[in-house]
Amino acid sequence: MLRHTGLTLIAICSILSIAAHATTVVEHAFGKVRMEGRPDRIVSLYQGATDTAVALGIEPVAVVESWTEKPMYHYLRPELQGVTYLGLETQPDLERIAWLSPDLIVGASNRHRTIYPLLTRIAPTVIPGNVYDFRALLTLMAKATGRTARGEELLAQWEARVEDFRTRIRRKLGDQWPQEVAIITFRADHARIYYAGFARAVLDELGFVAPEDHRKEGWGIKLTSQESIPAMDAEAVFLFMEDDPAVQRTFDAWSSHPLWNNLQAVRKNEVYQVDPVTWNMGAGIIAANRMLDDLYRHYGLEQPALPCTDCKGCGQC
Amino acid sequence: MNHTLVLRTPGDRWSVKLNVRVLVVTLTLALLLAVSSVLALASGSHPTSFTEVLGALAAPEQSELALIILEIRMPRVLMAVLVGGALGSAGLILQGLVRNPLASPDVIGITSGASAAAVLYLWLGGITGTSLLLAPVAMGGAFAVALCITTLAWRQGISPYRLVLVGVGLAAALTAVTTLLLVLSPDSTAMNAYIWLTGSLYASQWHDVTALAPWLVVCWPLALIKLRHLDAQAMGEDMALGLGSALQGHRLLFLVLAVALAGSAVAYAGAVGFIGLIAPHMARRLLASGHTGLLPIAALIGSLILLYADWIGRVAFIPRDLPAGVFVAGIGAPFFVYLLYRLRRDPG
Repeated sequence: MLRHTGLTLIAICSILSIAAHATTVVEHAFGKVRMEGRPDRIVSLYQGATDTAVALGIEPVAVVESWTEKPMYHYLRPELQGVTYLGLETQPDLERIAWLSPDLIVGASNRHRTIYPLLTRIAPTVIPGNVYDFRALLTLMAKATGRTARGEELLAQWEARVEDFRTRIRRKLGDQWPQEVAIITFRADHARIYYAGFARAVLDELGFVAPEDHRKEGWGIKLTSQESIPAMDAEAVFLFMEDDPAVQRTFDAWSSHPLWNNLQAVRKNEVYQVDPVTWNMGAGIIAANRMLDDLYRHYGLEQPALPCTDCKGCGQC
Repeated sequence: MNHTLVLRTPGDRWSVKLNVRVLVVTLTLALLLAVSSVLALASGSHPTSFTEVLGALAAPEQSELALIILEIRMPRVLMAVLVGGALGSAGLILQGLVRNPLASPDVIGITSGASAAAVLYLWLGGITGTSLLLAPVAMGGAFAVALCITTLAWRQGISPYRLVLVGVGLAAALTAVTTLLLVLSPDSTAMNAYIWLTGSLYASQWHDVTALAPWLVVCWPLALIKLRHLDAQAMGEDMALGLGSALQGHRLLFLVLAVALAGSAVAYAGAVGFIGLIAPHMARRLLASGHTGLLPIAALIGSLILLYADWIGRVAFIPRDLPAGVFVAGIGAPFFVYLLYRLRRDPG
């Protein structure tokens, strides 16, 4: 009996010690990293990682500045009150990162390749393979921070919402579904069509289709001449642009061109202006959910009240 | 006034003639550079004191402080010194070679060649390409352009005049290619390319220092030994030939030296402009000497300019880190204007 209790105690102790020092090997784009326990001190070096950290219930110790609404997008600000800013995504302040001695750094493959060796000297660093794949980013960060359960919960919620949206929009649009949509933007001196990217990935997942001519390799195309306006055509156009007078002037000039008025989306009044932060810059699970909220509202679909605990602004509860 | 020291080996096999003023100016600048380097090492976004810096230098240990000083700041300061020095000396050699005070690596196409190659590489690689090959590719671009210029300008030997004209033409064409590639690139690639084109020492690491240093270790001594032939050429081709200097052979050598110095510097730091143009002028204003004496001075001035430019970019806009290339022009241009003004008022 005594011996039995002793064995049980040893077993319990060893289980406890394993739990306390749980080591996960996380594979990422630039290699493997061993993570222990549930790190809280996280440094985010790009926008999607900041969004995802907040979704996982973590306030990073330091983040890079946002591209607009500086220093941080309004939708993330309430969760990032005590955060340290590291400057721009392209050249984050390495000294400050080192001095904060973080437990984990999340960087981007297209921006932080050259500083990756330095980052690994500072703290374990993970780099997701594709910056537009917010689901892979969520899975990676959930694993690296020991929050896999939360990550799976968020993904399950997302998938349930996608399923619901697809059912409802099919019912609403009937034989108009799947709808062909284009994603365009205006800059100070040109316009762009996106063939890939965050918004396109979400729309693809929801079942929207891209116009034949937009199903190409690469991120998209810059249009510098108004003669190329017809290339934008689709049944519906989602348009986002920054709040900037120069951008507005470009848009005014292009949208008063006869070719613009000849687009089928314009004739059917199916050009919709959406928030660039949600559709193009947030690039995390929260931004994806907010984009879906936009689409529910836009198509006048009713959102089901899904039970959600510890919600971080997905807007459904 | 012009004191010279002559050091001889026994038997007069080797001798070195040292101009005292050159020596004094060189040592003063070297001291200034050393002090500035320590100052740069001690400042950054995380405040550190001199004692902490000296402590980290004397006894490296595993700490955040040591990481910041030895792995983040130190390679960057060293790269500023090496790159600035290489560009300054490359400019001096080129200006002497083509006997035109407006020549510099960025004017005659060497930098443009490196830039076009680097941007092409970034464009082809996109976001998946590694940056490991960026420096060798940029360097290859610099040498390819130098080869093109030499071939096109060749008429029974290198004519300096044709060299400049062909170089300026090629530089313009390559800039057009670079712009075209930038337009075709996606945002993130274009942004990386822009930073490279401005010239930035951000994230310089020890492997950059160890890759760049060998070029300078070879080029600088060779230049010091051979530069007296440039003085002979400065007196005219006939005089140089009369003095027994192999005109075309040396021209080729100097061109290769200038391309190697500027190309390697630009390859590791990006297309930092202006230093190659301005540093030799500043050196000549400091003292009148032959090219041999001017070489260390132009190099030291180049180092100082880049060190301070990078220091401003690093410290003045914390937590933002701005490319040093922005401030090189900021420091260099006013000085250049001042020099021209002085030159006009006080010719000679």
